[in-house]
Amino acid sequence: MNPDDIVFAPVILPLFGAALALFSKAFLKGRPAVFLEYAGVLLGLGLPWLAFLQTAPMAFAGNTFQGIIGGWHPAIGISYSYDGLTWLVNILIFSIGIAAWLYSVGAGPKGPVFSTVFLIQIATLAMTITTTDLFNLFVCLEVMGITSYVLIAFSGKPGASLASFSYLMVSATAMVFFLLGFYGLYRLTGAISYLGIVQGLQGLADFGGITANISLVMIVAAILVRVAIMPLHNWLPDAHALAPHAVSAMLSGVLIKVPLFALLRILITIPQGMRIGEVLGYTGALTALFGVVLALSQRDAKRLLAYSSISQIGYVVSAWGMALQVGMETNLGIILMASAFLHAFYHALFKALLFLSIGTTIDRTGVRDVLVRRGSIAILRLQGERIPVTFLCFLCGALAIAAIPPFNGFASKTLLAHALKGNLHYLLLGVASAGTVASYIKLSRIYWPRAKDAEAIDAMVASEPFHRIHWTIHASQSFLAIVCLIGGMAITTIFPLVVRAVGAPGEGLEPSVSLYSVDNLIQTLVITLGGGLLYLLASSKPGCRILYLLRRQRHTFQGLFVSFAVVCAVLSVLI
Amino acid sequence: MTVYVERMLLFLLFLVGFWGILAKKNIIKKIFSLNLITSAVVVLFILEGSRVGDHAPILSDGIERVVDPVPQALMLTAIVISVCITAFALALAFHLYKTTGSFDIDDIRKRAQDES
Repeated sequence: MNPDDIVFAPVILPLFGAALALFSKAFLKGRPAVFLEYAGVLLGLGLPWLAFLQTAPMAFAGNTFQGIIGGWHPAIGISYSYDGLTWLVNILIFSIGIAAWLYSVGAGPKGPVFSTVFLIQIATLAMTITTTDLFNLFVCLEVMGITSYVLIAFSGKPGASLASFSYLMVSATAMVFFLLGFYGLYRLTGAISYLGIVQGLQGLADFGGITANISLVMIVAAILVRVAIMPLHNWLPDAHALAPHAVSAMLSGVLIKVPLFALLRILITIPQGMRIGEVLGYTGALTALFGVVLALSQRDAKRLLAYSSISQIGYVVSAWGMALQVGMETNLGIILMASAFLHAFYHALFKALLFLSIGTTIDRTGVRDVLVRRGSIAILRLQGERIPVTFLCFLCGALAIAAIPPFNGFASKTLLAHALKGNLHYLLLGVASAGTVASYIKLSRIYWPRAKDAEAIDAMVASEPFHRIHWTIHASQSFLAIVCLIGGMAITTIFPLVVRAVGAPGEGLEPSVSLYSVDNLIQTLVITLGGGLLYLLASSKPGCRILYLLRRQRHTFQGLFVSFAVVCAVLSVLI
Repeated sequence: MTVYVERMLLFLLFLVGFWGILAKKNIIKKIFSLNLITSAVVVLFILEGSRVGDHAPILSDGIERVVDPVPQALMLTAIVISVCITAFALALAFHLYKTTGSFDIDDIRKRAQDES
């Protein structure tokens, strides 16, 4: 098969699968309908892996497939580029996609309509990272947005509908600004592909001057709304906390990262990209810190996870921005970008795992508040979970995000720390890591046993009929937990591969990984102890008071648009 | 000169829409306002494309000075997307009205919080 055709398999196959699922909803009933829907999902989520296998050698050899869809003239066709980065991000999308869909079969929302929207979302995600055409990127981001509004509102609860509506208004408005930015660049250069725009800008005095800068800033800010970097994060906590659990896993794991790496494709070629990268690097580090403080202040389990996602995306953005700043052709830049991607990937794995296992727990216990202890392990055991799989999976995820060896979070955070050493980012991220430990100690309270509750639990379980936990829920959680563990253990093999896929390393770059050195272990110990101390401080009286005030902060539309304006203004001044 | 007048008018339309999104409490009005700002940008694009000529872009003999066809093609796509978003937003608004009995965003927020 022609390799140029194979690169579109991750986009075409899920769309085809979505069509099958919709067909089953429209024309079939009973068993054949379910069979056709599952066949569609298998086609959409399973078959692309063959394409990834086929294209793996070229991704690691640093080759790129470039071209124009349908062979149109470059001025009007949609150009695409499939390289190592595309391959890596596709792996991220599809591995979380499989786990989230599998979970949804057991825990809902299931059914052909859900599968259709889910598969369309997967296809758009794959296209977002493949395209190198600015207008096509706009279309992909919009369709990705529409599918996520639908999925968030899927439960039908008023809270979820409201969260979906707020997200819709915010992100649709931001996309209008994207269109305005695109207008500016089109006026200056008359091109729609990244390459055409860059060539056009290079032909202009001062790379297009202030018009080009402002246009670019609008595009960047609109994409940053999707990435939910502070101060553009306000829409995220409600949307991620109120969506169905499988959708939350997808949103937090994949949807906030793919636009970031799509943005990389623009910034890497554009002359102003370096400066924007520098500013965003600092913003990322600050986001990591403030995000975790807000996470620590939350009482709702899923909201805590949502804020923690903001914090973790801050880690990724700080290394990502630094890589742009030092330039992706330098060895340091490649290492930084590889670490940023690896943390994005590993975060997707353990955050999806956390959302799923916490989701199972709060479904079964009916309690979302982490301070109301109910001995969740006991309740789950009474509901037929002999081995505490859900708790063990949560433990894997929590240890991973708190960077405890040998889980994958330890590997990616240590690599990030190595790459960022000697910068302000390093210090900020170190403090943020301690905060992460503290917030996950707080979250784990949901599982703490309490003898006093034993009778109440027995009465509760006896009074309410329950059905057994579906095997797909356990399968999807265990799959993610095992991948988290393998990702941490096999880092010495994985990291060099990621480095080779991200960029062709120059002479003298041997990505050496010595994770378990005494220094690193001491550092982990210090951060963990710091986290424990922080947790004690946070549960003291004055700590509780401060966190209460933080939690009371209201999110408004107006606030978000003021932040949007501020971000645009600050970026315009700084670049 | 007319170009400036047209742009100013579009800018005003954009501002009205933006004000509506920010200040209006009624969610239906918010959806209207979203449509206003999208329309403002769409017309801006078409205006930009029309500056280079004054004939429809049918590329055959005898027709010269055609307008730039690319913005028109792009904006057609943008309009389709905007229709999808409006349709879904209205569906959500209807659902929110059915479950909470109000179109006022503050009321809806309060009732959604009470329920959870």
